[in-house]
Amino acid sequence: MSATTTNHRRGFRLFALDMNEIGLIVILLVLYFGFGATTNGFLSANNHLSLLRDAASIAIAAWAVTLIIIAGEIDVSVGPMVAFTSVCLAFMLKADVNVALAILAALAIGGALGTFAGSLRAYFGVPSFVATLGLWSALRGMSFFTTNALPVTFPDNAFLDILADNMFGIPTSAIVMLVLFAIFSFVSQKTAYGRSIFAVGGNANAAELCGINVARIRVLIFTTSGVMAALAGVLLTARLGSGNAGTASGLEFDVIAAVVIGGTALSGGRGSMLGTLLGVFVITLIGNGLVLRGINPFFQEVVRGVIIVAAVLANILVTRYRERRIFGV
Amino acid sequence: MQTARKQDPQPLVAAVRGATKHYPGVLALDDVDFEIRRGEVRALLGKNGAGKSTLIRLLTGATVPDGGEVTIDGAALTGSGTQRTVEAARLGVRAVYQELSLIVGMSIAENLFLGRWPSSMGVLSHGEMEHQARETLARLGLTLDPRRRVATLSPAERQLVEIARVMIGEPKLVILDEPTSSLAAAEVKLLFKAVRSLAAAGIAVIYVSHRMNEIRQIAQAATVMRDGKVAGTVEVADADTAEIIRLMLGRGEQEDRLVGEARGGDAVLSVRDLAVPPKLSGVSFDLKRGEVLGFAGLLGSGRTELLRAIGGLDTVRVGTVLLGGKDITRASYGERVKSGIGMTPESRKEDGIVPLLGVDENTVATDFSKVAVNGVISASRMADAAGDIIRRIGIKTARIDTPVGTLSGGNQQKVVIGRWVYAGSRVLLLDEPTRGVDVEAKSQIYAIIRQLAAEGKSIIFVSSEIEELPKVCDRVLVLKDGNFVQEFSAPGIETDTLMAACL
Repeated sequence: MSATTTNHRRGFRLFALDMNEIGLIVILLVLYFGFGATTNGFLSANNHLSLLRDAASIAIAAWAVTLIIIAGEIDVSVGPMVAFTSVCLAFMLKADVNVALAILAALAIGGALGTFAGSLRAYFGVPSFVATLGLWSALRGMSFFTTNALPVTFPDNAFLDILADNMFGIPTSAIVMLVLFAIFSFVSQKTAYGRSIFAVGGNANAAELCGINVARIRVLIFTTSGVMAALAGVLLTARLGSGNAGTASGLEFDVIAAVVIGGTALSGGRGSMLGTLLGVFVITLIGNGLVLRGINPFFQEVVRGVIIVAAVLANILVTRYRERRIFGV
Repeated sequence: MQTARKQDPQPLVAAVRGATKHYPGVLALDDVDFEIRRGEVRALLGKNGAGKSTLIRLLTGATVPDGGEVTIDGAALTGSGTQRTVEAARLGVRAVYQELSLIVGMSIAENLFLGRWPSSMGVLSHGEMEHQARETLARLGLTLDPRRRVATLSPAERQLVEIARVMIGEPKLVILDEPTSSLAAAEVKLLFKAVRSLAAAGIAVIYVSHRMNEIRQIAQAATVMRDGKVAGTVEVADADTAEIIRLMLGRGEQEDRLVGEARGGDAVLSVRDLAVPPKLSGVSFDLKRGEVLGFAGLLGSGRTELLRAIGGLDTVRVGTVLLGGKDITRASYGERVKSGIGMTPESRKEDGIVPLLGVDENTVATDFSKVAVNGVISASRMADAAGDIIRRIGIKTARIDTPVGTLSGGNQQKVVIGRWVYAGSRVLLLDEPTRGVDVEAKSQIYAIIRQLAAEGKSIIFVSSEIEELPKVCDRVLVLKDGNFVQEFSAPGIETDTLMAACL
């Protein structure tokens, strides 16, 4: 019974690059320098700050959605969740609730709603697409219903101003994004919770038979997603200075697109935070560049659609090539 | 052994002549001749890997022989790929497999005519379809309403609908693969009635089964396969069970035994009056420390239900399960894992491995906390733990993080066993641990099982390959129709007596 096995791990380093990620970096460089060379103002310092701020609004929700998609699930409720928590926060601040308390309450509301969707999935077998689609509709409706579609304003608040502003010359939201990136990368790679998510997405039956509490994992990822969407809602409220029922419309699709462009498989079991980070920047660069070039806003949507599908197609082709090498099929 | 026919021979429906089939490392069929005539019901027997499935695949056109020829109703099969199966189906070959293939959301009638629904000018004619369906069911002596949805049918009724489906479009040869394995006794009667109707209509039936009492009721002759050859064809009326077992096993090559005599210490696992209606009626046994206990039994004998109930995958409603004196009858699967039970599933790919994750993560998945420091998985601890299991179990892998999906079946199975060794389980429930692995890996797995027993682990070993049991087991309990019918202890465990007890 001798085995010559290298006692060393390849895939465990936090930020190991794989082929898909290298491809994305190339795409990013092409977009960056392409827009840089042809578009006025793209390379300005101000535009870089704006890029970071836009990236943060997608990325914070995208970290959690990456976990959800790795587990083989989906969350389409992100946009309305952001809007609803933003409206809740604004109402609380308007009623002079302490700002720290109000923010915590907003995060708790997001977490509770996510937990609800996750429990429907885990304990009742409601497909996560349906559970979060229900939230998607109900939360958007609730936001408009409670505000009559009018912005909810509140008194100026020093703490929210810090969140809306820059720290060390960088938008605070971007700092939050990067800190959370580090935390999510760490959790997904180095904790039992993170690795269990990969196991559940890779083969839920096998994970269950190993004694992993699959239902609990499925609930927790949606709780996490709810909290992250609420946090995005808090940052957005700070930036806008009011709660808006119609805000973050379509954000869920940017988030899912970023995750999928980043190489996370919709079938579950495979994915990375670094990939999602790159995916977020691809989406942000495209949006920002097209706006600066003055492309017709309706046509921008067309271009975005084409680029998203092209990026995912490239990702699938790369994966297929890699699997043929690994599994020999 | 040639069958002497008493009556005028009916015309041949199917004939296989001189068929040979190689698979990598295996000679699946070795110069096989087989014939079946109109209206005949022929039993087909043989151990796992004897060549039954390959023979069936030749007849359905799913496999092309390397040498020899297959003739259906006088016409030799010539095509390859799917063309060949279409050809065989056109000539009248139909097969019903163990896994049912009905669409449960549709009606019986829609299932019978699946994809060939009667229609006029593109519009389905439900009346016509139901009329034809009713006629077809009646030919089999069935009175099911063709409008009923399959979802509302019992397993037995589904099996019968599956058989009714092969009646559509003039079948000549119908192959039934262990059709009674999921049926209760009363339901078997219905099935036999249907099979007799087929035979009376001049259809030839190949009936794969190992239940001698069924074979005696339904078949005239039995063909026994062994090691890719036809070991013999006997008239069922003249043959006794011992002769059929002798044909299945061949004359004894000496088996390598890893067991001297039965050993074992105190009882670790005690099961009392455990029942899972309707498949398992009140069984009791003790599993001792350091003992390898085998469960023998045919497909459908209740062994799957027993293992699932002990492991906690199904709720135990009747009886008690004690682990080390502690009552775990009501404990969930997760709680049983924590108290020291480890289970390896029979379908390794579907339920065993996470193919994309490495050997190391597949191993430590049973207990991440053992390789974590303050909740953070330590790469070096995980490497040490996985490396230790890889060495102890003898897993052949290039790296410790090689995706398990890329390993051979035998090494995947070792990972699935190894994870419980890592978790420190006291009792291992191994469900078909050698299924689909090569000969060398099989003997390695036997050795691993004995080694673990020597280290004091208690093991329940379930295998449908009966000849494996004498090699590794200290004791074997034979399950039949949901009851233990006999017990054998080493060194007195013999394949032929075991098999006789199962049939």
